[in-house]
Amino acid sequence: MAELLLILVSAIFVNNFVLARFLGICPFLGVSKKVETALGMGMAVTFVMTVATVVTWFIQYFVLIPFGIEYLQTIAFILVIASLVQLVEMVIQKTSPVLYQSLGIFLPLITTNCAVLGLAVLNIQKEYSFLEGVIFALGAAIGFTLAMILFAGLRERVDLCPVPKSFRGTAIALVTAGLLSLAFMGFAGLVKG
Amino acid sequence: MAMTKLKTFPGGLHPADNKQWTASRSIEFVPLPDELIIPLSQHIGAPAEVCVEVGALVKKGEIIGKAKGFVSVPVHASTSGEVVAVEPRLHPSGRPLLSVVIKPDGEDDWIDPLPQGDPDKLSADELKDRLRDAGIVGMGGATFPAHVKLSPPEEKPIDTLIINGVECEPYLTADHRLMLEEPERILQGVAILRKILTVDNIYIGIEVNKPDAIALMTEKCAGTDVKVVPLEVKYPQGAEKQLILAITGREVPSGGLPMEVGVVVQNVGTTAAVADAVINGYPLIERVCTVTGSGISEQKNLRIRVGTPLQHLVDFCGGLNGDPAKLIMGGPMMGMTQLSLDVPATRGTSGLLIFGEDDIPLVEQGPCIRCARCVKTCPAHLLPTTIAAYARLEMIDEAEEYCAMDCIECGCCSYSCPSFIPLVQSLRHAKAAILEKRRKI
Amino acid sequence: MIASILSLGAIGFLAALTLGFAARKFAVEVDPRELAILELLPGANCGACGYPGCSGYAKMVVNGDKIAATCPPGGSAVMDKIANIMGLAPITAEPKVAVVMCQGDNLKAKDKYKYLGLTDCRAAQKVADGPKQCPGGCLGLGTCERVCPFGAIEMTPDNLAVISRKKCTGCGKCVASCPRAVIRMAPLDATTHVLCNSHDKGALVRKYCEVGCIACQICKKQVPGAYEIENLLATVVYENHQDAPAAVEKCPTRCIRDFMVSYPDGSSFAEATVPLKKEDRAA
Repeated sequence: MAELLLILVSAIFVNNFVLARFLGICPFLGVSKKVETALGMGMAVTFVMTVATVVTWFIQYFVLIPFGIEYLQTIAFILVIASLVQLVEMVIQKTSPVLYQSLGIFLPLITTNCAVLGLAVLNIQKEYSFLEGVIFALGAAIGFTLAMILFAGLRERVDLCPVPKSFRGTAIALVTAGLLSLAFMGFAGLVKG
Repeated sequence: MAMTKLKTFPGGLHPADNKQWTASRSIEFVPLPDELIIPLSQHIGAPAEVCVEVGALVKKGEIIGKAKGFVSVPVHASTSGEVVAVEPRLHPSGRPLLSVVIKPDGEDDWIDPLPQGDPDKLSADELKDRLRDAGIVGMGGATFPAHVKLSPPEEKPIDTLIINGVECEPYLTADHRLMLEEPERILQGVAILRKILTVDNIYIGIEVNKPDAIALMTEKCAGTDVKVVPLEVKYPQGAEKQLILAITGREVPSGGLPMEVGVVVQNVGTTAAVADAVINGYPLIERVCTVTGSGISEQKNLRIRVGTPLQHLVDFCGGLNGDPAKLIMGGPMMGMTQLSLDVPATRGTSGLLIFGEDDIPLVEQGPCIRCARCVKTCPAHLLPTTIAAYARLEMIDEAEEYCAMDCIECGCCSYSCPSFIPLVQSLRHAKAAILEKRRKI
Repeated sequence: MIASILSLGAIGFLAALTLGFAARKFAVEVDPRELAILELLPGANCGACGYPGCSGYAKMVVNGDKIAATCPPGGSAVMDKIANIMGLAPITAEPKVAVVMCQGDNLKAKDKYKYLGLTDCRAAQKVADGPKQCPGGCLGLGTCERVCPFGAIEMTPDNLAVISRKKCTGCGKCVASCPRAVIRMAPLDATTHVLCNSHDKGALVRKYCEVGCIACQICKKQVPGAYEIENLLATVVYENHQDAPAAVEKCPTRCIRDFMVSYPDGSSFAEATVPLKKEDRAA
């Protein structure tokens, strides 16, 4: 039990996928202008990450390893992730056209989002059991959503300030992201490794 | 001496009160000017409709403008004389508005008969009608028609009446002197208000920088159930919602009015005027105001007739002291800057402040440094700097979400801003934009 | 080898099945023409068409039975292409630009009071009807400059708003934002304008402004068809704008200006003296 809690806390705070591992920067910067869109994106990614972990875990241990075709890991995982993202896209377009519009190109870009693939691969690397894998995925997704929402909140406030012309837009966003990342370094040492 | 903590409210600030110039000066009568300019719009609500023509001879207290609708009051002649003009004249709001100009005949004759009455024999509705006919409006400066305030809907029962003797604005001492010199009138007014509202509790709030007023009012209220509550000296203690919170501990909800928590607040000046209206039949044609500041030769408290040009008041106070740079009608925090002294005093003129250039900080606006002094001092618990930023960026929905409509425009934020950002103006801009958006929907 | 082909094939097949089923269950109709039109539009979301943003306009075009409004920033080039996509006859929008009808900067026009407040014309207008003695003149605090989505407005060093004929797309946002209604729309080709917005009597105008219109009627006498005097203010009759330049030299207060010759004093725009055709203007 303590083990699982450790994995969860580590994935959310200590080794946050965006702010410590620097994966998934593309949607992090692209969708974080408003807190509502950030939340929507976070939920989409949570779904993709969790389901992808489950499916890829099964594929790794029941298809790839038994048949000795571990070298197909990347292709197989991407295939799964791509289909999942397509599914999520269709559902969002139907259920919330507004969110679909505001996410724009970043929704299909979850496919090539290194955070999702990175999660699937890390899961296998760390040789987690099924349950551990799911908890790890949940933690990663929550951490990702948390980072996005925090960042979106910060950006909304930065937009209210008279930022110098040369810093406006992406420049000040990156500076803020760096500072947020620094802040999250405060969690280092909470969990070993 | 027992040091009990004084009642107060969160937020607010302590500007230097500068009341020593006039606090001990008795009220003086100002003789009639050569011309009285009486605007038809001196109150919140629809302006009165003029009902006299040029050339008409009017008596003191005669109706010269009829009330229009429920939220409106009639306007009366402040003395007997001849109507020499009915035309737009410069108004305290800065724009020319329709006014009735009267040349006094020197007789100062009342209309005959005056609608006198016995409060014990009149019903609550009859009393309210008398107040409306007398043109009684809030004399703290807001000029809201009293009969409307005293007619809350049935679903909002009132159990507390608070008389506002706080006068938290710096420089002003009109209410202070009124309490010292005419406490009986005020208490007569309280009795009438009690009859109209049928309340359980009556309080009179006074800040402790007026110990003589507190002592006198407490003595006069001895034996009655009217309680005098001394309050900590802090601006804006005299604002309705803050006064209610300090005295009763009840918080008026966001977007709501005092009637939501069962309270009605009336200024001491209004209360005294209520007594005059009902008992003597006098309409609201005169009031007490403080003329002070470094730009006037003699600082005084004056009893003035409605419609007296400010220049006449200045002349009565010994004239200007140097070149005036700023003329404020009201207090320095919430008063209205005036373009000229030819503007008339109205029912809501609690003071005239004249300042020279040395008193005005002519400093360039700087950027917001996120010091949050405005947040700390806001008595309505708002974030003035954030709302101002939203107003600047035309993000009206967000400004509304941050409760811009709850701003009481007290001026604490602008006063405390180290960058001299005109925060109240930004908030007013946001409020106007929100109201316009609501009108469109 | 076989295992790899089979296993990947199986995963792919399963994925395809799931997606096929989902595609049917979560189908959403999108008209491809709407996307094509959205591509063509300028994307400034200025609202000049009266619809919520460019996507709103595209939706209206595709779903309505006729094109109910034109896109002024897009201009006739874009409107023709949109008509083409919808299979309709080409629509031509007459190009209009915004003009600030005033030359009263700090040096030429007097103030009523010293304004210490928000640098916003709408806020300043609420304070005793604005700091300028002239009731209709430009306040020069830059609200229109900030509102213009195309950067076509500049404030001269002496606080007068000037609009570039080349950059203005006629979206009308500045007109809506000006509290004094001193900005008005005029045809692109009309280069002569009476730059005054005050209806006060001539004697009063002379007191507070060096370049205000005093309604002396000299312009109308010089070129009767091109000028009209209404309520003590002259305006160019734009139908006959080509005759208007003849009166510019005769105006005693110099309030009539021909933008083909020059822009108001202090302006940095140098595109005068060149006739601007529709195609020359920024898209």
